[in-house]
Amino acid sequence: MELNTTIAPFVRATNNIFREMLDLGIHKGQVEAQGDSFISQGFTVMVGLTGGWEGWFFLDMSQETAIRLASIIVGEDYSSVENEEVLLAGAEIANIISGNAITDLNNIHIGLNIRLTPPSVFAGKDMSMFNVRLNACSILLQTDAGNIKLNVVMKEGK
Amino acid sequence: MDANQINAFITSLIEVTKMLGMDSWTRTGLGARDQLKTTNEVNVIIGLVGDIKGNVVLSMQEKTAMNIASKMMGGLPVSEFDLMPKSALCELSNMVSGRSASELEKIGVLTSITPPTLIHGRNLISLISQIETLVVKFTAEEGIIELNIATEN
Repeated sequence: MELNTTIAPFVRATNNIFREMLDLGIHKGQVEAQGDSFISQGFTVMVGLTGGWEGWFFLDMSQETAIRLASIIVGEDYSSVENEEVLLAGAEIANIISGNAITDLNNIHIGLNIRLTPPSVFAGKDMSMFNVRLNACSILLQTDAGNIKLNVVMKEGK
Repeated sequence: MDANQINAFITSLIEVTKMLGMDSWTRTGLGARDQLKTTNEVNVIIGLVGDIKGNVVLSMQEKTAMNIASKMMGGLPVSEFDLMPKSALCELSNMVSGRSASELEKIGVLTSITPPTLIHGRNLISLISQIETLVVKFTAEEGIIELNIATEN
């Protein structure tokens, strides 16, 4: 399983959703090296994957970006990520992105049958995620709302 | 959520820890989660998909996590929260959720589980369910552990 087969559908889905649903441009994508842990920018949504391939999808951004995205979706102004609606908005975006990406993957690889868990949201300073099979690099996307980081952890399931 | 399903998680956690040489774990609390903030630095999350869908989070203080890791490695002292205790904690969660999945299967609930991911950070805010999160508290000589269960049917 190579990096571009696992992460590419997620990058494509993010690109589509930011442009079409949120009306935000993505200017540049770059690869960011990751050590043994995924270092969060302050706000991370995680969606679990099971089936033919199993693992996690991470959608990470700064708390300011999360607040900005929530304002765009809900149409209200928020001041902090402690507001539950900001967390729910972030969860929804990750849900849509991973849903699209998984549909893509399942269509390309017939019989893979990947399924998603409900999203979980974590926010805080100096937060890091550890997973034994973490991808060595993340994709950093520069968007109109701030930097968005994507990482996909996957292994072949049973 | 069905009480039998919650019991599957509770008994799995107690049995797995006992198997690893930690026999003082007892359930000391059960309730709904009422706040987003948590003071626990170490959170290990596992996702469930199938007849029940959701997330399970094992949450504890860093000190407790290091005590558990030390016990799992046969009493080897653990003074820093580095890769070793992190993998130990992930392994513990993997065993607990694997066993829970087979306990659930016995009562006719089929689920698949994702690999564990450990989230480490101070003063975290977390939301693991859009509906309701159940918190089961365990007390042991290693410290206090919270098992957060959030499922939707």
